[in-house]
Parts: sequence; C-alpha cells; structure tokens
Amino acid sequence: MSDHDPHGPVTRPGASADETLQHAIDAEHAGHGDHHSHGGLGKYLLVFLALCGLTTMSFFTYSPAWPWRDQPQVGWTFMMAVSCTKAMLVILFFMHVWWEANWKYVLTIPAAMMALFLGIMLIPDVGLRNRMVSQERALHMARGSDVRLLEQAGEAQALEQPAAH
Amino acid sequence: MSAPAITVPHGHDGHGHGHDDGHGHHGHITLQYQPGLPLDRGKLIMWLFLSTEIMFFAALLGSYVVLRFGAPVWPKPHHVHLSEPIGAFNTFVLICSSVTIVLALEAARANKASLAKVWMLLTLLLGTLFLGVKGYEYAAKFSHGIYPAMPHSRIYERPDLYYGSAVRARLGEPAMIDRLKELDDTPADRLTAEQVAARGRLQQIRKMVASPEQQAFDLAVVADQVMPLPTEGGGGDHGGGHGGHASGLNDIFPWLRLPVVIPGGNMWASTYFLLTGFHAIHVGVGLLVFAIMLTWTLNAKRAGAIENIGLYWHFVDLVWIFLFPLLYLF
Repeated sequence: MSDHDPHGPVTRPGASADETLQHAIDAEHAGHGDHHSHGGLGKYLLVFLALCGLTTMSFFTYSPAWPWRDQPQVGWTFMMAVSCTKAMLVILFFMHVWWEANWKYVLTIPAAMMALFLGIMLIPDVGLRNRMVSQERALHMARGSDVRLLEQAGEAQALEQPAAH
Repeated sequence: MSAPAITVPHGHDGHGHGHDDGHGHHGHITLQYQPGLPLDRGKLIMWLFLSTEIMFFAALLGSYVVLRFGAPVWPKPHHVHLSEPIGAFNTFVLICSSVTIVLALEAARANKASLAKVWMLLTLLLGTLFLGVKGYEYAAKFSHGIYPAMPHSRIYERPDLYYGSAVRARLGEPAMIDRLKELDDTPADRLTAEQVAARGRLQQIRKMVASPEQQAFDLAVVADQVMPLPTEGGGGDHGGGHGGHASGLNDIFPWLRLPVVIPGGNMWASTYFLLTGFHAIHVGVGLLVFAIMLTWTLNAKRAGAIENIGLYWHFVDLVWIFLFPLLYLF
C-alpha cells in the first residue's frame, strides 16, 4: 500500500492514518488492559451454556419426541440454523471477532464468499451426477428398493424368530 | 500487504509500545511502512491460514452435502452404526475445550502463568479425549467391515448376485472351511444359546448361498442375517428391537467377517472417513502445539501465541459444530 491510500477500508472514518495505526498497535501490543473489558469469565460461561443448550436442541431432533420425524427437511433446516448460531457464537466471542477492528471483514467475507461459491459449483458435476448414469453404473448402484428389500427381509426374520423358540 | 514490517509513523511517542524509534523528520522524504492490516503479524498469518481453512472445509462439507443429496440412497446414521449420543458427547468435549483455551488466554493476559498452564493442560486432555472417542468410533466401524476403501471394506451396495458370490467366496476360503467345520463339530453345551441359534442360521445361509438360483429376496435375507439394517420403527434406537447391534452373524462370530450390504454405504464411508479424518488431523496438530506450549512459561509475553493457537482451536471446534449434525443427525 502506498501513502496515497493509507489504510483502505480498514481505517476508521474521520481518523488520521497515524492515529488509527497507533490505536491498532496499542491494542495489540500494550493494551492488555483493554482485553479485560471484553473478556470476563461470566461472558464465556454464558456463551458456553448457550452452546450446550443449542447442542441439546439439535440433538432433540434425534429424540422420538421431535414432532417432525416424517419430514426430515424440517429437522435439517432447524439443525443448520442451530449450527450457524453456534458457529456465530464461537466466532464472535471465543475468537474475539466481536471486539476486533474492521479488518475482520477483509479476511472473513471473501473467504466466506469463496466457500459459498465453491459449494454451489459442486452441484452440477457432483450433486447431479446421478441424473444421467451409464447402464453399468445403474446396474451396480444402490436404490431405494434395495433398502425396502432388506427391511422386508428383516421383518420376515423378526416374525419367524419368535415362532422358532 | 507487500510491506508488512511494523514501523510506527512519525509524531507519536510515549505509549510504551516499543516501536517508536524516534524519527524526527518533519519535511523529510521518508519511506513509511505500514502493516497491510492493523494487527500483528502472527495473528494476521493465522487469520489468513484460517481463511484458507474455511475454503478447505467448505469444499469438503460442500462435497458431502451435494453427494449426499445427489445419491439415490444414503444410509441412515444407525444403518452405519453411528451413535448419536457419542457424537453429542464429543461435541460437548470440544465446546469445553474451546472454553478452557479461551480461559488460558485470559489467564496469560493477566500474567497468571501457572493458571494458564492448567487451562491449557485441560484443553490438551479434552482434545485427547475427543480423539480417543473418535478412535473408539472408528474401531466400531472397522469391526463392522466399514472401511473407506476396498481391500478392507466389506460393504456391498445391493443384495445382488455379486454380493451372493462374495459371501460364497468368503465361506469357501480354506481357513474358513476349517473354522466352520470346527464350529459344526462343537457340542451345543459349549456354546451359548445365542451361538447355537446363530449356528443354525449360518448353516441355512451356507445352503442358500451354495444354490445357484437365488432370488433377490433370498440374498436380502442372507444380508439381513449377516448384518441386519435396523428397522425405522424403533425410534432409531440402537440396542433395542430387530437389527440391534449384536444380532447379526458377523457380530456373534466376529471371525466370520462376511461381506455386508449397506445401500449407499460405500460413498457414505468415503465421505465420513475423509471428513472426520481431516478434522481429527486438525485436532492432532492442535494437541501437538498445546504439548509444545506447555513447556513454555505462559505469561503475558506469550499471550499472542496463545491467542493464535486459540483461534485455530476454535476453528477446529467450528468445523465439528457443522460435522456433528451433518454426519450424525441428518
């Protein structure tokens, strides 16, 4: 970066370049006193309890009491929402991003966008690969009917066994 | 970011930050170096590394999701002997370790070196516990013939003739013939009631597999006898009901090691071992760094290093936060 463009997007508006840099370096090197304001055992404990509570919530989808057992999509959406909340709690508080200067956006937003695009780019080649498969592949790949066949076989055995005793 | 050397520009002094080297140069042309981002180098590098890690795991998780939803059949967690409570326990362990490492950082910042060491040791122990549980889970998969690749993997996708001939080939191995003969000759009073019943079933299976004109349903019965798929009705429960953990021939006679049928199981195994394996490697690297840092005095001078490894560790926790529901609960 040149003098012409002192700090780009990471500069606090209205602050001179020197002031901003000074502040940043103070915070990083000398300002241990600063950290106590946002540290605190209580806050971490609260985040920890929230994380445990959220884990229990997503685990709840596995229990028989979960009302949408026959609609897995509801559970998936719920679990992803819970996971994103947990991830945000960890990122913001444990990783201290909540208290960081604006540089955090410079690093995280491009990475997050790349990650998202990467996921989307996998859909046509990988996700949809079973739409058009070769005959040979179709011959060997599992189908839903195989699961039903195995379950029927299991049920038949389950019925036979008590009679055998 | 090409000039990352931290030198404080002119005009500021006296904050005790150790970087002010006293340029008195108003009006002079001097080069001024500024960090690309206003944070110190170690932390910048850690965050850059983490942003590559975000993409790395996004690719892995993304592949898992598109493979899973693109597959015609995907095994249910209990079809592949995944235990949800164990996964939840491991999640809890990692969350606890995230708290302990953050407390280690706080202690180090307050210059309480021995307290910081206690928290870091606790983090190391929790991480080791996580890996131990993971190893236990892997061992359970291996014992069911679930491996990521062919030489060890005994997974067949469907109960078809290929499966039937694989079972026949296994039962026809010379060592297996001797072992089966030995089992047949064992008097019933030297076996448990369960083993006697299983022996009868095994004899039936051997007869079925030996006959060349098998129907798909017969082969499904063979597969069900070898390693049953738990039925859906039992609330996804492990031990109870038909298809519980220990009712298959492979479970009762572990030396049998017969091929098993898990529809969609091969792709599942590939993704499961890849995702959890890469995650476990990350945990292992973290543990290694913790072990090295435990030999240091963890005072305020080391707070930066603890913060950086803490960032890494939280990221590892973060990945597990997504892995747990995706692998165990979906």
